[in-house]
Amino acid sequence: MTDATGHHTVSAGEAIAEFVNTSKRFGAVLAADSLNLRIRKGEFLSFLGPSGCGKTTALRMLAGFETPTEGTILIDGRELASEPAYRRPVNMVFQHYALFPHMTVAENVAYGLRQRRPKLPGAEIALRVAKALDTVRLGDFGPRRIWQMSGGQQQRVALARAIVNEPKILLLDEPMAALDAKLRAEMQMELLGLQRSLGITFILVTHDQQEALSMSDRICIMGKGRIMQIGTPRELYDLPANRYVADFVGRANILPARVRATTGARAEVALADGLSVEVTAPFAVPPGAAVEVAIRPEALRLALAPEPGVPAIAATVTHMTFFGEHIEYLLAHPVLGALQVMLPRQAERALPGAGVGAMLHVLWDPGAGLILGQD
Amino acid sequence: MAISQRMARAILLAPAGLWYAVLLVLPLIVVLVYSFGERGAAGGYAPAFTLAQYANLGARWTAFQNTLLLAPAGTLAALLIAYPLAYFLALRVSARWRTTLLVLVIVPFWTSILIRSYAWIFLLGGRGIPQLLSDLGLGDLRLINTPFAVLLGIVYGYLPLMVFPIYVSLEKLDKRLLEAAGDLGAPPWRSFLQITLPLSLPGVATGSMLVFILLMGEYLIPQMLGGGKVFFVGNALVDLFLQSRNWAFGSALAVTLVAIMLVTVTLYMRFLKRIGAARDDVGLM
Amino acid sequence: MKKDETPITRQKFIEELHRYRKGSVTRRHFLGVTGLGTAMAVLGGALPMLRPGPALAGDIGDRVILATWPNYHDVANFDLFRDQTGAAVQVNVFGSNEEMLAKLQAGGSGWDLFVPTNYTLTTYVEADLIEPLDLSKLPNYDAAAFEARFAEAGTVGGKLYAVPKNWGTTGMAWDSGKAKAPFTSWKEFFDVTRTDFSGRTIVHDYQLTTIGSALKYFGYSFNSVDPAELAEAEKLLIEVKPHLFAITSDYQPPMRNGDAWLTMCWTGEGKQLNRDLPEIRFALGKEGGEIWSDYYAIPKNAPHRDAAYALLNFLIDPQVNTREALAHGFPVADARVNAQLPAELLNDPILHPAAELLNALEFGAAATLTDPNRAELMARFKSA
Repeated sequence: MTDATGHHTVSAGEAIAEFVNTSKRFGAVLAADSLNLRIRKGEFLSFLGPSGCGKTTALRMLAGFETPTEGTILIDGRELASEPAYRRPVNMVFQHYALFPHMTVAENVAYGLRQRRPKLPGAEIALRVAKALDTVRLGDFGPRRIWQMSGGQQQRVALARAIVNEPKILLLDEPMAALDAKLRAEMQMELLGLQRSLGITFILVTHDQQEALSMSDRICIMGKGRIMQIGTPRELYDLPANRYVADFVGRANILPARVRATTGARAEVALADGLSVEVTAPFAVPPGAAVEVAIRPEALRLALAPEPGVPAIAATVTHMTFFGEHIEYLLAHPVLGALQVMLPRQAERALPGAGVGAMLHVLWDPGAGLILGQD
Repeated sequence: MAISQRMARAILLAPAGLWYAVLLVLPLIVVLVYSFGERGAAGGYAPAFTLAQYANLGARWTAFQNTLLLAPAGTLAALLIAYPLAYFLALRVSARWRTTLLVLVIVPFWTSILIRSYAWIFLLGGRGIPQLLSDLGLGDLRLINTPFAVLLGIVYGYLPLMVFPIYVSLEKLDKRLLEAAGDLGAPPWRSFLQITLPLSLPGVATGSMLVFILLMGEYLIPQMLGGGKVFFVGNALVDLFLQSRNWAFGSALAVTLVAIMLVTVTLYMRFLKRIGAARDDVGLM
Repeated sequence: MKKDETPITRQKFIEELHRYRKGSVTRRHFLGVTGLGTAMAVLGGALPMLRPGPALAGDIGDRVILATWPNYHDVANFDLFRDQTGAAVQVNVFGSNEEMLAKLQAGGSGWDLFVPTNYTLTTYVEADLIEPLDLSKLPNYDAAAFEARFAEAGTVGGKLYAVPKNWGTTGMAWDSGKAKAPFTSWKEFFDVTRTDFSGRTIVHDYQLTTIGSALKYFGYSFNSVDPAELAEAEKLLIEVKPHLFAITSDYQPPMRNGDAWLTMCWTGEGKQLNRDLPEIRFALGKEGGEIWSDYYAIPKNAPHRDAAYALLNFLIDPQVNTREALAHGFPVADARVNAQLPAELLNDPILHPAAELLNALEFGAAATLTDPNRAELMARFKSA
């Protein structure tokens, strides 16, 4: 199923896995702090965050390589927190693939099927291995040795080795980190196609926000061992719950402000220089409260002169970077500090002569930007 | 540039080449020549061309029998003890303790094997372990000067040579492979058999080879812990050169020992290769 | 060594260890017998060239190299020699005559003076490995002072090649606490080994004495090379082998700690065992057995010949030799020395057995040492 935005949709009801108050402590370090998360059947979920945020720990607890210190994990309705990895209906694609160097490609792929008890017939294993290799477009590579395969091919072997087992959940631990940019983009598309056709739940761990945004049905932003926000890529981008998410996903101007008045889902706030702007308020805020507002660089506009009825900040251009289809401006304001603005190429043409050093007006359209919650 | 590079290589390899030529190849040729000679009237070597020395090899059959039985047995026993130890050190011990424990494995090497064997003579002698056992009511056990004592001494003496290669191969084993095996449904013992063991085979091969080759030429431990009753080819050689001074026969014995070792080691290498090669042949299963 | 039934204490362990060491550092020392013992001890100063020498130093050089048996000298004498002459004595310790012969045959031994046993001397002369002694350089040598039987092997083909050092016998030592009756013969030695003492007997790792004693069991000559007689001796040895505790010349440690109860034994070591552990007795076989005499000889091409003569002359000086004898305890053939030794040493029944026992003994013969059949028999026995 796809919705109007072209996004794959997953019914919210069926959970394939669930973290229930799950914590993991390594000595003094709390690597996962009371995680609560329902993973939906068939969805593509990403754990996104910088290194040390707890995303890998969460994945390893799902795989069974780590046992939660507190709380539990359910997989397909069964409590599995203390079940060893080899008895879980999940498979993982490892960051550096972890292929068995002493086995051929086919033997690697067959490994999981060979562990089944009662044993599967050899013919069936051969058939399924061949099918899995076909799926990753390595049909003829079965007899090859692992060291004869390129990085991208090894990645596919690792994928085939996992999906051949038809796991309930496929775990992917930074699977594309070792690939070059072009190969990575290709692989992302392939992976997505595979997920759609197999209908298996994919859980991806990545630190690459583009990867997460482009592939995931939902993203779970992690930081300091906690879940910072869960949502679709659009929700995270448009309505980051807090400064951490706003900062990590995409780019944002984050400015301190004071609430003047609220009307429904809108609020009027005063920026540090006294300018009043109208922003989205995802939650109720009392007038007078000190808040932080975030606004994406592409939500701001630049003009040579202020427009009536649109709040404007007069600022000096300090940097201009040309990216082809868009231009990024960095402007300085004596009170608000640095502001990022991104303009489409067309909009630049309306600003003749507005180079570095020029004084421009940064226009804040009503409703652009939003109030951030606490981290 | 090419010439100077070649010259540099020649200069670098010269010491080792000379070493092998003077200390390995030349003596081997001498031994080979002597093995076709005769014993001198007052001992030593007298030039001749005869196969008599080789025809007489049967006179040392027991020595060969002991060597060919106890050297593989010792190697196997050392392997069976060393592997779990190496496994424990490489995969189960925290990094903090590992170095200390590794050093403890080598410490015995800091003392001469002679001194250590004397310690074993004392431990295995009537006032050592047998005394303890009899105090515990476990009967009258004779340990010293038995094949068992020799085996024990061998395993004790050569254990580090077995532990280290295995340790190295286990230590560099990618631990994620074990996670991968577990993830794919292999219980720990199966992932040990299917992943850890095959990947540590190079260490096992190196260790076994080292120990086996040294045991084939072993002389000191049987002499000391076997009371002169457990006779290896090495002991026969020492007797022939230092006691009866029959250099020709001694040379024939040495040549035969070297030949047996070459054959055994070659077969062993082939066998290892076949284990590796077998996987190629399997292809898609 | 006895009556401590309780598990061994720490102190006892150390004592035990010392005894081990002591026991193992004796004549026919294990290190030597096993061929490991080219162990070189440097006595009288490791770096003599750095020491300002006395006036005579220039005459004989600064060093002299002696190849001898373990514990066979008084180290103080070497110090004295160095102080008198400026030549430091460097000692190479050996364990068997065969090994000494092998080393000299191989050439380049570097020895100036060495201590061969009687039966090897003709072999050395025939192989042209030793030189006749120049008596003008040995004023301390007095042929008349030596009992003929301990000195005559030194003369080969009418020329004097070697002068006597010490003599001794080869008998048997046993733990009297374990034996029903004292041992008196080689017959008893081999018979009791196969019965009451099974697993408790040691024979030498030395063909001369082991085969010789087995020959004596049948009443044959200790030196026999007769194939039929040797075949009988071999049969006996191979029959006895499963009952042996060990085939080793390093027999003191197991005798001392009680593992072994009976062993073939050289006089001096019999004396040492008996002195430390009175329950260990020593006797000669009444059928006979070995008597031996060690000599000093100078190898051909000795690198420091003058120093070799000086050292030899010094060591056979009766005063010096008396101190030597008091240090190592072996009987001396030189009447001038015996005149100065205490009576209890000269009357000791182990060191100086009764004449009728002594007369039954035989000196080892050169042929016994070099006979290939005996060597091969020993090897077959060991590897059986």
